[in-house]
Amino acid sequence: MSKGFASSHRMTLLALGVLSCFLGIGVRLVFLQVIDRDELMRSVEKARRQILVEHARRGAILDTKGNLLATSRSFVIVGADPEMLQPDDEHNWPELARLLGLPPAQVALTLRRGIAAAKLAQATAATPAARSIPAGEPRERRVRWVKLADEVDENTYDEVTRLGVRGIYGQRGFKRVYPDGELAAHVLGYVNKEGVSVTGAEHHLDLYLKGEDGWIESEKDGARRELAQFRSREVPVQNGDDVVLTIDSVIQHMIEEELKTIAAKFDPHFATIIVSDPQTGRILGMANYPTYNPNDFSKAPLDAQRNYAVTDIIEPGSTFKIVAAGAALDQGLVTPATTFDCGNPLITHNGRQLRLPKEDEPFGILSVADIVAHSSNRGAAQLAMLLGEQRFYEYARKYGFGSTTKFEFGGEVRGILEPPEKWDGLTITRMPMGHSVAATPLQIHMAMSAVANGGTLLRPQIIREIRDPAGNVIRAFAPEKREQVLRPSTAALLRQLLTRVVTEGTAKGTDIPGFELAGKTGTTQKLVDGKYVNNRHVASFVGFFPASRPQVVLSVIVDDAKIPGGSIAYGRTVSAPAFKHLAEQLIQYLDITPVPIADRSLVALNGGDR
Amino acid sequence: MKPPPANALVNQLVAHTLGLLVFGGSLGLGAVWMRQEIFSTANRNRVLESRIADTQRRLDELNAEVATALNPDSLLARNAGMQLALVAPREVQVVRVPESPELLLAAKRNREIFTVETGRPAPEDVTFHVVTASYH
Repeated sequence: MSKGFASSHRMTLLALGVLSCFLGIGVRLVFLQVIDRDELMRSVEKARRQILVEHARRGAILDTKGNLLATSRSFVIVGADPEMLQPDDEHNWPELARLLGLPPAQVALTLRRGIAAAKLAQATAATPAARSIPAGEPRERRVRWVKLADEVDENTYDEVTRLGVRGIYGQRGFKRVYPDGELAAHVLGYVNKEGVSVTGAEHHLDLYLKGEDGWIESEKDGARRELAQFRSREVPVQNGDDVVLTIDSVIQHMIEEELKTIAAKFDPHFATIIVSDPQTGRILGMANYPTYNPNDFSKAPLDAQRNYAVTDIIEPGSTFKIVAAGAALDQGLVTPATTFDCGNPLITHNGRQLRLPKEDEPFGILSVADIVAHSSNRGAAQLAMLLGEQRFYEYARKYGFGSTTKFEFGGEVRGILEPPEKWDGLTITRMPMGHSVAATPLQIHMAMSAVANGGTLLRPQIIREIRDPAGNVIRAFAPEKREQVLRPSTAALLRQLLTRVVTEGTAKGTDIPGFELAGKTGTTQKLVDGKYVNNRHVASFVGFFPASRPQVVLSVIVDDAKIPGGSIAYGRTVSAPAFKHLAEQLIQYLDITPVPIADRSLVALNGGDR
Repeated sequence: MKPPPANALVNQLVAHTLGLLVFGGSLGLGAVWMRQEIFSTANRNRVLESRIADTQRRLDELNAEVATALNPDSLLARNAGMQLALVAPREVQVVRVPESPELLLAAKRNREIFTVETGRPAPEDVTFHVVTASYH
């Protein structure tokens, strides 16, 4: 073997040099990895570690046709990191201010204050006193964020980014928006500024809608950019599910327009219109006056935010007569042709002489069909007496009075229906005409819906289905039967009797030829300080069409309408015209075809069936 | 056997040490290159994720704008603004055709053809086998 280039002396020196280098590195490593490890790790953790939260996008609320009723729009909060701002970017500040829609002087002032605060904090941190603060103890906080503008849209933020001003950043968030404004406000509810869902669908379906935030544990570089290769944990974001309601936004718009007309004409305390499909219980439209815009919920008084259709009770008045008439027919105690003396104000019941309620107009002998058509209070009272207190009460319960409808968005009250043990002697004469009982507009609506669909009381359905973010249906809602109120043949018979209300009864003139409108008017005196007053009324019209194959149930309830001249706000003058106007629109929109004459004759002959 | 001289042993040791350093350096460079690749890939993924999220955001934004533009009030305002005078039909304007309009139109057309060919109107009692096209 050759002797090589090196002498033994040189080689020894080289070896010693190499060894001392390794030794030096080893010693440094021991200091870094063992002796100073904890302090250095704390410093690194603080400087580089970050947890990025990715906010879940709240699911959308759609109408039955897939139109957006509520959605989330992303926005950017634009701000600056004063430590990163560069003096040579100052010439871009005016343009930045223009893009953000702020006065240039304000932007410049905010940024300069931020820079000054950041420099002060840095200087304080560099003092010996600050350095001597042990690790983990609170120190002077550095200023790394100064907010410039809220809710900047994506396009504007793109332009801000293109400006290339160093130190200007955006924080993304989601804002709830209701593209249709006031449309279905009481059904939708709203999400407040803190992201808390307050009422309506937003609140009751929050579990589906809200989703789950995701987060990433990672590290950042000196320019605060994420170092993706150092991601240590990652929990993916789970966006919220979409909720499809049974509401049809076109029908909803129709009824809200009608409410505006009613409000302009009668200045009521409140008014409610409900439209539903009698066969499924699906609510196609539900609106109240007064209303509000959920995009501007903070400006709306609390009264305007109430869904009167479920939160408030009224005496149903004559619309309640379907209970006595339906029950008496169902029990086979009477036929439409059975007559009663409705002219006599006194009657003996259970051995006691009772005074029957007054009529709006004098009647004599009336058949059951006439009692329904002309809304005879005394006739209804006699039908109830024929049934007896207990049976009449049981039928009222079956119609859904005195218990909640199980409306899915909650907030509803169950109304008042006392059992016969708590009745006074006159209750059997007053309750059949809708006094001494209180119900929500939705309860009254669903009771009429039971007559329309063949005698079945259904749960009102407002949610059609829930879809995951990919659009797959994860839960569908089917019609839910609550009670069989009447036999189908009785319901069909009652439907025929109710058609006479609009052709020759209390709402004469409301009919639309060929479409068999049917319904019941109601005019109730209001209770003020425990007494019925003559000048304040609840006017209602609750009905359906076409009577032989009902496709729509429609309720118009107006509380305390003011009639010019101070006359009584009857259901026929306040609510029935609105009912007819809406029916005309719904016939076209839902493509309801007129009932052929032959069908009508057939239905009249056999009393109809489902 | 004669033992190797001491210098040769040192030379061998130096050569092996240098070889080890080159090998170690190569491993180090390889590790750095690998980390750089991991960094680039992670970064590319991050950018892609960010673009997907951005696209999703813009899609949502667009959907919200479309929904706002299509709400009934906006459409009515456009109808008024563009003086289109579009209104929902009223029942009196509607003529309902109980038979199939397709068959009616086909029958009408066949009747016209017959009239043109013979120069005489088709007698009322003549019946036609109506042939219609179907897309199904």
